[in-house]
Amino acid sequence: MELDTSVLETTPAPRQSSAVSRAAIAIFVALIASVFLLFVLAPVVGLVATGGGRGLSALGRDAELRASLALTAMTATIATILGVVGGTPIAYLLARRDFPGRSIVAAVMELPLVIPHPVAGIALLLVLGRASPVGGALYATGLRVAGSATGIVCAMLFVSAPLYVSAAREAFARVDARYESVARTLGDDVWRAFRRITLPLAARGLTAAAVVMWARAVSEFGAIVILTYNPKVASVLSYDRFTSFGLSEALPVAAVLVLFALVPLAALRALRREGRA
Amino acid sequence: MISLQLVNAKAGAFRLTDITFDVPQGSYGVVIGPAGSGKTTLLETIAGVVRVTSGRIVLGGEDLTGVAPERRRLGIVYQHAFLFPHLSVAENVGYGALSESIADNAAERFGVTDLFERPVASLSGGERQLVAIARALARRPEVLLLDEPFSALDPRTRSFARRQLRALYYERRFTVLQVTHDFSEAGLLGDVAIMLDKGRVLQKGTPEDVFRKPASPYIADFLGAENVFAGTARPIKAEPPDWLESSSGQVTEMPLAFTTGALTFYALGDVVSGSAHAVIRAEEVSLSSEPSTSSMQNQFRGRITEIVPAGALTKITVDASGTPIVSAVTARSVRELSLGIGKEVVAGFKATAVHIC
Repeated sequence: MELDTSVLETTPAPRQSSAVSRAAIAIFVALIASVFLLFVLAPVVGLVATGGGRGLSALGRDAELRASLALTAMTATIATILGVVGGTPIAYLLARRDFPGRSIVAAVMELPLVIPHPVAGIALLLVLGRASPVGGALYATGLRVAGSATGIVCAMLFVSAPLYVSAAREAFARVDARYESVARTLGDDVWRAFRRITLPLAARGLTAAAVVMWARAVSEFGAIVILTYNPKVASVLSYDRFTSFGLSEALPVAAVLVLFALVPLAALRALRREGRA
Repeated sequence: MISLQLVNAKAGAFRLTDITFDVPQGSYGVVIGPAGSGKTTLLETIAGVVRVTSGRIVLGGEDLTGVAPERRRLGIVYQHAFLFPHLSVAENVGYGALSESIADNAAERFGVTDLFERPVASLSGGERQLVAIARALARRPEVLLLDEPFSALDPRTRSFARRQLRALYYERRFTVLQVTHDFSEAGLLGDVAIMLDKGRVLQKGTPEDVFRKPASPYIADFLGAENVFAGTARPIKAEPPDWLESSSGQVTEMPLAFTTGALTFYALGDVVSGSAHAVIRAEEVSLSSEPSTSSMQNQFRGRITEIVPAGALTKITVDASGTPIVSAVTARSVRELSLGIGKEVVAGFKATAVHIC
């Protein structure tokens, strides 16, 4: 009886076909990912390539652009400082303590993330506008909220603070509570243990959280445009130039704003690199 | 001293329930129990970092139930050390130290002075544990809480660390409560043993008592007792029989006949009659070729079914009328008796070696 070798000869075939199908899947996934990356990158690169040069040269002669960038940076910084001061204790409590109403506090802090930003602006206007009791009282003391830098800070704070609280909460949660426990048994009271142990260990995460908040505040438009059209932050200025003079006038402002936004992005990347090291 | 009176505490979803025990001033207590039994939570409750919902915690004679951790004059050493990673080793040891010289002394005693300039991240697990012990002791605590502090140490360093800790303990006579999985460590170090499970104290007493006389078959099994038999017990005499050893003449436990399977053996216990468990440690069971003429009341002939080397001792299982009896004998006995699978031997143990629970 002769041995039928055809079976042996055809054995590698399934392995070959599975290798081919794996390669086809890899190529398909790479293609989809490339298209997606291009989708995100192309408008930004196109904007900077088209208007970047003009935008940078406009910085020298366009006082309104310079003023709006300075205003944006200043109000975003103030909003971030307020967010850090007010949000850090909340983030710490949410990460560490189990208290009555904890889930309500967490939900309240997430609320601004799900509200459309123009709606957030309208809500803030209702509470802080001159016609409202609070806004009226503040106006009576000389503090005007709507239509002022204060209004811009309020809008930025409202929409971007939840991002800080969420990231700061994660940063605290990553520091094992037992470090604090040990510090307490070594003589530290709650505040001292927080200052000497938890804060330094969470510092990188908190800084990254603040950078994210600042970046979000800089890019805010919807809430600000309702609460304070003037003075104009950079995002409102680019919108104003677009509606008043068209794309060619809006382009340099928009391109400069994109370059401006690259600063926190670079800071975040540097923080992450340092963290990995 | 450490005294807990009906302490209830909650840490996340875990609860400690009605914890009551005393570790006298200057004594060494050990906490044993399976993983997840609440040993670490117990230490954290004593330290004050887990809040007590009811009950009292008395440390050094003072009720410190609601007092902040920093005012309890105690130190805690976790299994994972929890050295502060942003500080140097020297800064860790000196963190809560009463003085620089006390910190240096503690570091020297545990051999970590050479590590002072090293970053914490570069230390091995064992080095971290030594630094953590030195850090806790540099504060001169009156109560020291240790959560498996020697688990990452190699046998030589473990022996060194134990020696150093014991020397300090005898010098200063602080009170220690140590969580351990190492039963020999518990017997070696402990004056008081506390068996914990599911957040409750199952048994407390001297380590000898807990190991020899476990309160339940579960505890016996957890503590590694090889012979745990379910059966029925019945009293055999109103008066103590002549085989009962009692130096004082005072008999606190009743002589019993315990029946398990086809075997009935003599035992002592406070069980009057009915269902019970008998616990016999393998070291208490001797093997011989012929029945012994000594006062050993329980002797059963059987065949060897299993031989398992276990360090210095060898564990031999003898099938006695269908009941497996495990004996731990030395390698020398194995050779002298020519023990092998299928060989017929006599397994014997005293009635006093049988604990009824």
